[in-house]
Amino acid sequence: MIHIQDVSKVFLLPHERKTTLRQRFVSLWQKNTYEKFYALRNISLKINKGEFVGIIGKNGSGKSTLLKLIANVFEPTSGKVCVNANVAPFLELGVGFQWDSTVKDNIYLYGALLGMGRREIADKYDWIIEFSGLERFVDAKLKNLSSGMQVRLGFSITVSVDTPILLVDEVLTVGDIDFQQKCYDSFMSFKKNGQTIVFVSHDLNAVEKFCDKVVLLENGQIGEVGNPRIVLSKYKSPERI
Amino acid sequence: MSSYTETYKQTNRSGRKNYLYLTLVMAMTDFKVKYDNSALGYLWSLLKPLLMFGTLYLVFSVFVRWNVENYKLYLLLGIILWNFFAEVTLNSMVLLEGKAAILKKIYFPRWIIVISSSLTSFLTLFFNILVFFTFFTISGTRFSVSNLLLVPYIIELYFISVGLAFLLCALYPKFRDIHHIWEVFVQLGFWATPIIYPVSIVPQKYHTFIFLNPMARIIQGSREALIGPGGEFLAIPNHIIIISFAAALFFAGLFLFNRLSRSFAEDL
Repeated sequence: MIHIQDVSKVFLLPHERKTTLRQRFVSLWQKNTYEKFYALRNISLKINKGEFVGIIGKNGSGKSTLLKLIANVFEPTSGKVCVNANVAPFLELGVGFQWDSTVKDNIYLYGALLGMGRREIADKYDWIIEFSGLERFVDAKLKNLSSGMQVRLGFSITVSVDTPILLVDEVLTVGDIDFQQKCYDSFMSFKKNGQTIVFVSHDLNAVEKFCDKVVLLENGQIGEVGNPRIVLSKYKSPERI
Repeated sequence: MSSYTETYKQTNRSGRKNYLYLTLVMAMTDFKVKYDNSALGYLWSLLKPLLMFGTLYLVFSVFVRWNVENYKLYLLLGIILWNFFAEVTLNSMVLLEGKAAILKKIYFPRWIIVISSSLTSFLTLFFNILVFFTFFTISGTRFSVSNLLLVPYIIELYFISVGLAFLLCALYPKFRDIHHIWEVFVQLGFWATPIIYPVSIVPQKYHTFIFLNPMARIIQGSREALIGPGGEFLAIPNHIIIISFAAALFFAGLFLFNRLSRSFAEDL
């Protein structure tokens, strides 16, 4: 289902980033100096259909980059990422909303971004509103909602898509207890339907509870992969700190 | 492994067949935001071009006095068409930054952003042309079949603008100041194109230069179609020249855009 083959992602971090013609002109005779940063280095990973995979690791270990590669937002510097199904990504906060539009318009916009057609969104509209608990705010502009409400809305639209693969990046920390519970419930039903979920989280309890397989990333490389309990204990063990 | 990649591409294509819908939804939400979801919002947005029109009209009709028949309509049409061109090309750069959050999170073909924004502007152009026809009727000019000759010019205008929008949008993440540079070019273009002044005041020997600019040909042709008198710019050779320009710009723009847009998510 998801096949990652020997993938590296390198970011060239210029010591001084030149983003204008003027800067290029002014420094015409100076050499460009770069810092090569390997966000991911020779990663190989296979995720099968129906698996619930957790990705853990410290900040900057490459978790989000890996998700973005799977979501086709980034292209790998070398190696190959093969995903043979449609992907619904839910990455980071804020998602991709139009802040000056109403909740209703945003549902249609975001639904379309995730690949749904008009009829499909119309069919799911009521469900999305109910799941996000925003019944009273349908005509409110998005910028006037609290950040928790925005995340709830984004997540509700994402899970409403009939997609074989769901990517979730560290979002549930914003919702309250009730909504977190709802999310986890919907994860379970996803799992029952045989959908694949890739889940990045620092919430180790949730990872242990839901995941079939856990990938531990360390400085852009796979430190450990396999059974959640074993990987987690390795992550938590003191000699790694 | 190549078959794996092919399946990936195939499913991605068939799984995402709603690009057209996405383009339309994006255009509509932007349009609603632009005009605050109300007709008054649109009226408000007319203030700028009308004020511009009023000022120029005052200066060049009352103070300078060009000898042009129907100068009012002549000027208004020029401004409306030029504003569309300026808006589409300038917006292409601003909107990339506005959509950066989406670009970094969801994959979709990047051209959708440029096309949807151009559609938003096109809708504005459409309403502006309606406003033009209101003036047209008030001023007592008669409609005629030859007015329909405006349509090909509008299509050519659209493709030239979008082609340039693709070019500028593609270059923007690497050269941010291209926005300011282009603003200057739009200013220059406004004066280098016969928008406020009639071509007749330009010495004959400069005509070749003036009409190297396809915008001058489009605006001149549209005028001949709507206001008359019909002349060389309604003829087929003019269209051939404009269409060659438009096609070259459009395909060059699209090509460069497709090459560079893959790294938008990293560069923005």
